[in-house]
Amino acid sequence: MTHEPPEKRRPLILEIKGNSLDDGPGIRTVVFFKGCPLSCIWCHNPESKKTGPELSFDPRECVGCDSCIGVCPLGALDRANARFIDREKCDLCYECVEACPSGALSRVGRYLEPDEVVAEVEKDLPFFRTSGGGVTFSGGEPTLYMDYASDLLSRLKEIGVHTLIETCGLFDWEQFGAKMLPLLDTVYFDLKIADPDKHKAHCGASNDVILENFRRLCDVCADGGPELLPRIPLIPGSTSDEENLKSIAGILEQNGMGRLAVLQYNPLWVEKSGKIGAPAPPLGGTGWTKWMERAELERCRSYFDDFELA
Amino acid sequence: MNTGPVTNLVASAALNLMAFNFNKRSSVREYMRSNGSWIDFTIGIVIEDSSFERALTFRNGQVTVLKKIPADADCKLIVPYEKTFKELLGLPPNETLTYLMKNKIRTEGNLSYMSLFNYYVAVQLARINKGKFAKVKKKDHAQRLAEAPDVDPGIRSEMPKRHRERMVGERVDQGVKHLEDPFLSRYGIEDFPRLEKFLDIHFTVRPELCSERPKLLTDWFVENGFETDREGNPWFPPLRQGYAFKYLMENRKPIIREDDLIAGTTSSREIGVVIYPDTHGTTIWSELGSTGDRLLNPYTTDEETAATFHRYIFPYWVHRNMREWVRETYGNPLSQQMDERFAVYFMWKTAALSHTIADFPKVLKLGLSGIIREIEEELASDEDAGQEKKDTLRGMVLCLEGVGTYAEHLSEQAAREAARENDLARKKELERLADICARVPWNPSETVDEALNAIWIVWLSLHMESTNAGLSIGRMDQWLQPFFEADVARLSTEEEKEEYVKRVIELVGCFYMRCTDHLPLIPDIGNYLFGGSSSDQVITLGGVTPEGEDAVNDMTYVFLKVTEILNIRDPNVNARYHPDKNSETYLKRLCEVNLITAATPSMHNDKVVMESLAEFDYPPEDLRDWSATGCVEPTLCGKHLGHTNCMMMNVVAALEMALNNGRHPLMNWEVGPKTGSIGNGDFQTFEDFYQAFCTQYEFLIDNSVEYNNLLGEAHSVIRPTPLLSSLISDSIDKGKDVTVGGARYNTSGTANIGLADVTDSLMVIKQLVYDEGKVSFGDLKKAVDTDFENDPALHALVTSKVPLFGSGDEEAVAMAQRVSRFAHDKFAAHRNFRGGKYTTGWWSMSNHVAFGTLSGALPSGRRAGKAFTPGLTPEPNASRNLLDNIRDVAKLDPHCMNNNIAFNVKVVPGATDTHERVVDHMFSYAKTYFDLGGMQMQMNVVTSEMLRDAMAHPENYRNLLVRISGYNAYFVTLYRELQLELIERAEYGI
Repeated sequence: MTHEPPEKRRPLILEIKGNSLDDGPGIRTVVFFKGCPLSCIWCHNPESKKTGPELSFDPRECVGCDSCIGVCPLGALDRANARFIDREKCDLCYECVEACPSGALSRVGRYLEPDEVVAEVEKDLPFFRTSGGGVTFSGGEPTLYMDYASDLLSRLKEIGVHTLIETCGLFDWEQFGAKMLPLLDTVYFDLKIADPDKHKAHCGASNDVILENFRRLCDVCADGGPELLPRIPLIPGSTSDEENLKSIAGILEQNGMGRLAVLQYNPLWVEKSGKIGAPAPPLGGTGWTKWMERAELERCRSYFDDFELA
Repeated sequence: MNTGPVTNLVASAALNLMAFNFNKRSSVREYMRSNGSWIDFTIGIVIEDSSFERALTFRNGQVTVLKKIPADADCKLIVPYEKTFKELLGLPPNETLTYLMKNKIRTEGNLSYMSLFNYYVAVQLARINKGKFAKVKKKDHAQRLAEAPDVDPGIRSEMPKRHRERMVGERVDQGVKHLEDPFLSRYGIEDFPRLEKFLDIHFTVRPELCSERPKLLTDWFVENGFETDREGNPWFPPLRQGYAFKYLMENRKPIIREDDLIAGTTSSREIGVVIYPDTHGTTIWSELGSTGDRLLNPYTTDEETAATFHRYIFPYWVHRNMREWVRETYGNPLSQQMDERFAVYFMWKTAALSHTIADFPKVLKLGLSGIIREIEEELASDEDAGQEKKDTLRGMVLCLEGVGTYAEHLSEQAAREAARENDLARKKELERLADICARVPWNPSETVDEALNAIWIVWLSLHMESTNAGLSIGRMDQWLQPFFEADVARLSTEEEKEEYVKRVIELVGCFYMRCTDHLPLIPDIGNYLFGGSSSDQVITLGGVTPEGEDAVNDMTYVFLKVTEILNIRDPNVNARYHPDKNSETYLKRLCEVNLITAATPSMHNDKVVMESLAEFDYPPEDLRDWSATGCVEPTLCGKHLGHTNCMMMNVVAALEMALNNGRHPLMNWEVGPKTGSIGNGDFQTFEDFYQAFCTQYEFLIDNSVEYNNLLGEAHSVIRPTPLLSSLISDSIDKGKDVTVGGARYNTSGTANIGLADVTDSLMVIKQLVYDEGKVSFGDLKKAVDTDFENDPALHALVTSKVPLFGSGDEEAVAMAQRVSRFAHDKFAAHRNFRGGKYTTGWWSMSNHVAFGTLSGALPSGRRAGKAFTPGLTPEPNASRNLLDNIRDVAKLDPHCMNNNIAFNVKVVPGATDTHERVVDHMFSYAKTYFDLGGMQMQMNVVTSEMLRDAMAHPENYRNLLVRISGYNAYFVTLYRELQLELIERAEYGI
């Protein structure tokens, strides 16, 4: 087997997760795309950062049978190695995944034809109907694959599904406007860091395009376009400081946006990073392994007293 | 080392000592006395592997030890291994029972005598046992505290908080005539101090064994004979029962509970355990001295009551009960022996035949006097009526008269209490009760308070007649609505109407609390078989009318309000939801009550339940009047003896027997047919093995049916039920008691347990052994036999690489469907003693845990002794997605589940979710499930965290309700394994 190239027209799908109650209205089915133009150090889905496939190892599921070690043609697996997998050696042939009885080793990312995605989603239609739910594109970043996403969206609209995208905002406006916007009922738009330099440092790219896209989207949405909800992930030591949150409140005001969602910090990404062999960044004093205290959440919310919190 | 001789010496010495004590110590010798005579019997004791054999003969007040067990010994206790015998010596008495259940010891012969012998042993060891019981409790308490989770104590205010958050309802249902807010959101329990007081009694008063019923009946039978009358002529059983019942009702103490608005009680105690020695009453014999000491659900038994049972009541009934009648009449058939080993099936018919619903509308419409008139007219019009018909109908009249006299006594009692009552308000209530009981149930009812009292008096009378196990009340909302409307029509102002609605809530609340005035008899072993179950008196709400129209009405919502504010386990409230006829508002309200109470009501798809019964071709108007019975099972109200829980069948046992060529591993008994050996390579294909499974299952079905039918005959001889018969069509016309087929519709309902476990195991065998060849059947069998101890990789493989029932896999659903169709077709081919068909259900009460305890590891990877899944709920790890579970269960063909199902879903609201949001999500799941054709669903809305906290601190959770499989229980009254099963159920955030 060989590497699948990170090819933009053929996105890898991480997971199609049914019964989600936190990714938009009603009961929703979330399609997770793999790959993102940003590389936020605290990304809560670290396995979605790279566009290419990966190998995941969950030591808690491992029963220690060593079946995998025996089948690895490159000798990349070794109990003496603290990380178990030598990712330099591994060429992602997935022989070990086949051999693993417990599912501790698994393949991350798989290409699915739009038809396959629709077939999976269709099963949930009865639940969408009773709950006012639908499909959410998440990731990763769905706009990395505009053609694919557009194709999928139009098929979903054909069968009457409510569509929602969760985006980091870094995309080509023209393409987005032409291929995706008309097919979307709702856009969840992340605003992370207001300061461009800090944004670049923490998220791997400047935020100028993101802010410009946000401005345009605000206009379109105010003018009968899809529903727009800006969302701010609260990350201790990165996004949740007073200055940043006040600046974001300012951006919202400038754009005439009266509502937003404040996302409570989710520490589970730290453990997830380990599974795909990505080193967790130095923890410093940021308390990244814990859920946020209620008082801290309240403080963060307090900068948005004049807004409607979704 | 062979310690056999030593063990034999110890055993021998113990028996000699026992004989010595009984012969020489006068206080002990007294225990052999019965009603002026002596209790005579012989018991044999065998230790198989050390060839020990002795018998104890109790005769004329003397005990003799015999070296050889006489052929006519009444019963035998068999201990296979001397090792086990030694263990037994050190065990607390309740664990002795689990040894019996786990087949480490077994019995043969008359179980009443076995129970008596155990009582004799307990009498001698009373002091030691008290110490052992105390130790058990202490150990249990310490273990619970040691396992206490670290939780935010705020979690304990979660349930009260749910009770405070209440939605307002929209008036959309056509049948709702008067309630502007059908959700009655303005009322909470705090508005009803009377009900609060009753709740407090419910949770704090310890139940007591009550001897009133069996004592009075025994008096009558001693005087008038049981098999033959005073002249020596054989009794015609229905007539005999009529006389005896009348005597009982005339002589019972008429009691009106302090402050109650409903008159009459099931026992003479505040909370009484009613004993039916004609069925399973003698099972408590061994515990008469220790019911108060046991760890779970203790009862008080005062000395006088214990003496009455031991000396007077039980000796009279030793042979006169269902089991012993079958044993003596049919020579202890194999089908009976299998039942008495606990592991393959459990026959509820040994305890009860009730599990049905009487024609209460007839009581309300005609009154008992009107029913007597109907009987007299039937006799007058049927010139060909034979003696049997005449005597059957005579028995009914005697019963109805008995109930009438009891009501008169209640009326007199109310008047007496009113006369001496100083509180004016209460005086008025008592005067009203005196009026009510003077009128009903003898005459037709005219008001809601009359109707409720009439139903209650007849209800408790039915419990006086036969065992209170799953006898159900039926469609109370339908039957009371006309009275509600008539009452409201007499009122003029809005204030009066509001006041009246509040009064009706209180009255219905009193009715619910009356239903908690008794408990079924649960011997300690029953705590482990039927954890925390009360008598499961089902009230069914909603659905459609006999004409097929939306049946939801004002009273539906009144009952839902009462269900919400009382939050008690019994009455077991079930709701019918008809997707085409009932409103979404109603379904939403069901979900809200489910959220607030954590566990009730259980919800049914009206359309699908009715469709499941298509093969019977019931007239639509009768079918539409179905109501749940006991747990979830459908009975056509007032016309149907469906004994809907005649047995609980362990389907996994059939699988285990197929894996072992007919041998059941736990019982170590070559009981089933030889269907092939895995070791010999007898199964060339998966189909070969599947056929072996079917053969074993069929063997169990055939035997269980045989025994059930013999027990059916026993009921007709030992305890016909003329009162119940007078309230079920067409018993009067036919002149036949319902125990011999007097009802218009006659069926027997079975509960089959372990569908998901069997399906998943079959999927593993099919896929890994036959389709993919990843493992040999021999290796899989070896791993199963050793509980996967030595093969973690194989365990990982079977648990993670095979799609299970509930995962969304079509093949797994088809497998489940195949098994359920097989069960249905085999059962449906049989006829019961009353001439009706068998129906097939897929729910489990709590027996999925008990049967799990008695089963080894399975090919599915389920470890030995672990609980099966409840009802037909998928395995917790079948899917992370609840929707997969919902879809798979909804796909099963209802025609193969015509005794209904129990599908458990555990959902957990998020900490920050609003009440409305949670209700909306529950609604979406329920609505979609029903839209997809799902049949029944029951949600537990609790977190594992809360359940763990409740295990450690039961004092904070006395009313935490959980739905087991079909019935409700208080979590803190359950045995440990059942508590853990509830905690380990898959949990889905909402």
